Amino acid sequence: MSEADRAARAKLRVGIPKALNVWTTHQFWLGFFQSLGLSPRNVVFSSDTSDEQMREFGSGRGTVDCCYPVKCVSGHYGELIFGQKRKIDILFSPMIYSLASFLDGHAMDSLACPRVMAAPENIKAGFLREKDVFAENRIAHVAPLVTLAEPKLVPRQLFDALQGVVPGLGIEETARAVEEGYATLAAFNENLRARSREILEWCARERRPCVMVLARPYHMDPGIGHEIEADLQACGYPILWLQYFPTDPELLNWIFRADLAEGLIKHPFDIDDVWPSSYSANTNEILWGAKVAARVPWITCAIRLASYECGMDQPSFTPVQQIVERSGTLFFSFQELDSTKAAGSVKIRVETISYYLERNSPGIIEAKLRHMDPACPLLRRPVSADLPA
Amino acid sequence: MNISAKHHFRAYTPAPITREQIDRAEILFGGLHWRAERVVEAVFENMGYRARALPAATRDDLMTGRELADIGQCCPTSFTTGNLANFLRAEAERIGPAAVADRYVYVTAGSCGACRFGQYHQSYELALRNMGLEAFRLFLIDQKKPDQGAAEGGGLDINMPLTIGAVWAILCTDVLQGLEYRTRPYEVQAGQTDAVVGDCVELLHEAFRKRPYRGKKWGTLAWHMSTGYFINVLREVFRRFDVIEVDRLRVKPIVKITGEFYLQTVEGDPNYNIHRWLESEGAEVYPAAIAVWLDYLIRCEVQKLEDKVGVEKGARAKLAALRGAQRLFRWSFDRMRAALGDIPFEMPDQYELRRLAAPYFHHRLSGGEGDMLVGKALWTHKKKKAHMICELSPYACMPNTMSIGAMAGVTGKYPDLLYAPIEIKGDAEVHALSRCQMILTEAKKRAIREFVEVMERTGLTPEEAKPLIDAHPRMNRATYRIPQTGIAAGMAANTLLQLAGARGTRKAA
Ligand code: SF4
Ligand code: SF4
Repeated sequence: MSEADRAARAKLRVGIPKALNVWTTHQFWLGFFQSLGLSPRNVVFSSDTSDEQMREFGSGRGTVDCCYPVKCVSGHYGELIFGQKRKIDILFSPMIYSLASFLDGHAMDSLACPRVMAAPENIKAGFLREKDVFAENRIAHVAPLVTLAEPKLVPRQLFDALQGVVPGLGIEETARAVEEGYATLAAFNENLRARSREILEWCARERRPCVMVLARPYHMDPGIGHEIEADLQACGYPILWLQYFPTDPELLNWIFRADLAEGLIKHPFDIDDVWPSSYSANTNEILWGAKVAARVPWITCAIRLASYECGMDQPSFTPVQQIVERSGTLFFSFQELDSTKAAGSVKIRVETISYYLERNSPGIIEAKLRHMDPACPLLRRPVSADLPA
Repeated sequence: MNISAKHHFRAYTPAPITREQIDRAEILFGGLHWRAERVVEAVFENMGYRARALPAATRDDLMTGRELADIGQCCPTSFTTGNLANFLRAEAERIGPAAVADRYVYVTAGSCGACRFGQYHQSYELALRNMGLEAFRLFLIDQKKPDQGAAEGGGLDINMPLTIGAVWAILCTDVLQGLEYRTRPYEVQAGQTDAVVGDCVELLHEAFRKRPYRGKKWGTLAWHMSTGYFINVLREVFRRFDVIEVDRLRVKPIVKITGEFYLQTVEGDPNYNIHRWLESEGAEVYPAAIAVWLDYLIRCEVQKLEDKVGVEKGARAKLAALRGAQRLFRWSFDRMRAALGDIPFEMPDQYELRRLAAPYFHHRLSGGEGDMLVGKALWTHKKKKAHMICELSPYACMPNTMSIGAMAGVTGKYPDLLYAPIEIKGDAEVHALSRCQMILTEAKKRAIREFVEVMERTGLTPEEAKPLIDAHPRMNRATYRIPQTGIAAGMAANTLLQLAGARGTRKAA
């Protein structure tokens, strides 16, 4: 790379809409762009979804009635185009076709929802309909299709899209940057998984309940998931997101020991026993998370979040609920989440959940422990149902 | 310590089925148009099974589907789930649930990816559970695998002869449907086309029922590609159409049907009988051939391989083989089309559709019809294949909403493209049809304007054209081909151009 290219890259500003599957891949993009010589300060993400964001930057840009998380992307685009103190040069909005899921190799596929993958095409149209807003603001809209589940294909996909936009870009450095992206993402995930494990160890040690959230990654966005889990946490129940559940083999083999021994599954990540059409990465993970929640004794409650007009979640409502409830674990779902946080009703529901958690958790933990091997890797000494609480 | 996982929830899995059991049972299937379904029944029969297409889905089925499965389904899921459920429910009342599980099995395409099409079985399963029919057997066919082998128990073998037979049945009925739709709007004697089509479907049914056995694998494939067996039957179909007298000087707008696979394919309540409704409103319908969808599925696989060339060993060779297979597939369709005088509409080139859609919709975006919706709309418009595009968009469909959104960019660039996206809920007919009617009114005006322009261009009026046609009686037959010139879309305008071409009075464009 020439000095001139290096200098140009250091000044380049990239804006990424923090929406949809960027919620579990943002570390990949950070690692990737930094490896290409962009300053971390110059890789900006839009803020969390909010009504104000949509009103100020996204209104009138929608092209079709759609699920709430996709609708919101217009606001993220608008904020990056019109709402930056320092203008961005590139609006980078990856069309994430498939995801690097921890279930890869055990499911049929690892695809993103069709709306997630196509959202950039759809949202872009709203900024082109009357005039080319990108050209007018001298912003390059770069929306590469990326198959994150097939790492070998990614360098070319990103090189083709960014060539001519990132000065002096070469395919080999793109490949190195992709590796860096995966490594950054893996390190980030590992860190969060380790934290989840600490929570679980604490729960196991103290015989305390925790709550598993079964939702799509973007329900972590306060504007999409409305921080329902944070309200529960405030009541004293630690929260686990299925996406960051620890994946150490020793722990997983313990969780699924009986299923494996009876030949019901081939591997702890196998979900064929509950969800044979395992094509969609996020759905697969939710189903797997439900299985985990059903087995881990200290997860005494699972909450399901689903957005307004989500088409992907619909077929999995019953199986997820059945998986969780059949095990005696508490299950609550919040569906059709949109822009309004019905604060009053959420508060009442959170209080209800909290009441049930307090009343039923000891019994649930005991009952679930009876189905588990006493030699739990979360504890140094064996656990059993008859241990005093 | 006795640890067991038996108490946990498990998904439904069909009980194994033996040959003896399947001989007692009837295979149920559905989701295509009636011509294809009737001939696919014969394909099953030819393979030694008894099969029956489910009755066409109705609004009652929609209600049952909504009631039995989770809320928020796309409407094709509700229709197909309710369709199966209502059939089984009625049978269970008649012969009891145990006999239903014994006498019927259901086979459906599935396992195809990201949208709910890959998860239909979930709704079926839920419906079966809710009806107390868990013992009923439901099998999924992976539409990408022509030779899947036997289902557990060995009774149902999804093998090459069965799959290729079904594909050929679809191709034959596709071209028949194409000829039918190019004929009926112009028939002089009302009802004649339908009667002939009915006969022809039975003719095809018989031919497929008696299809010779040519081995289990490549032998059967080679035979289907090379044989004149089906071509001869189609020639007979063509001969039967010859009795139909037509008046092609009726000025009619052509409406191209696109949209989600199920909605564009079936003819009935699920799409408000839109094909017949459009014809009754004075349009000629350009139906959506199933072959185009199959061609698209091949393209999807080609595209995946294209991305792997240079990255994965052997990808180039696989790509070449698949492209060859796609050419053979298209050649087979064209051969059948030729047997019907090249009158049915041609299959658009998939790579041209991809090129046209590229600025608006990435070709790898999958689910539903992917970039084809945008591609077909532009192909139809630019090549003057139709006056208007009617896109059947299912309520709560995921991929379809995305393509419609992208169409905002297309209509912005091509404001004269007449595009009617009709949201189909299944029970909001008046609203949908009145929306369609508004755009159809404009399409009619365009068809008239185009006809007038062609009159000026050819110097021919209908009054002058009529005796010219009568002087060549073949031109009044359904089997006479009026080519689409690319100058005008409508049949009447192209008929004038044909006459003028023959007389040498056609002016240059
Ligand atoms: S998974 Fe649901 S909420 Fe997310 S993009 Fe798809 S349809 Fe919308
Ligand atoms: S394409 Fe749309 S309507 Fe068809 S199955 Fe998929 S989600 Fe449903």
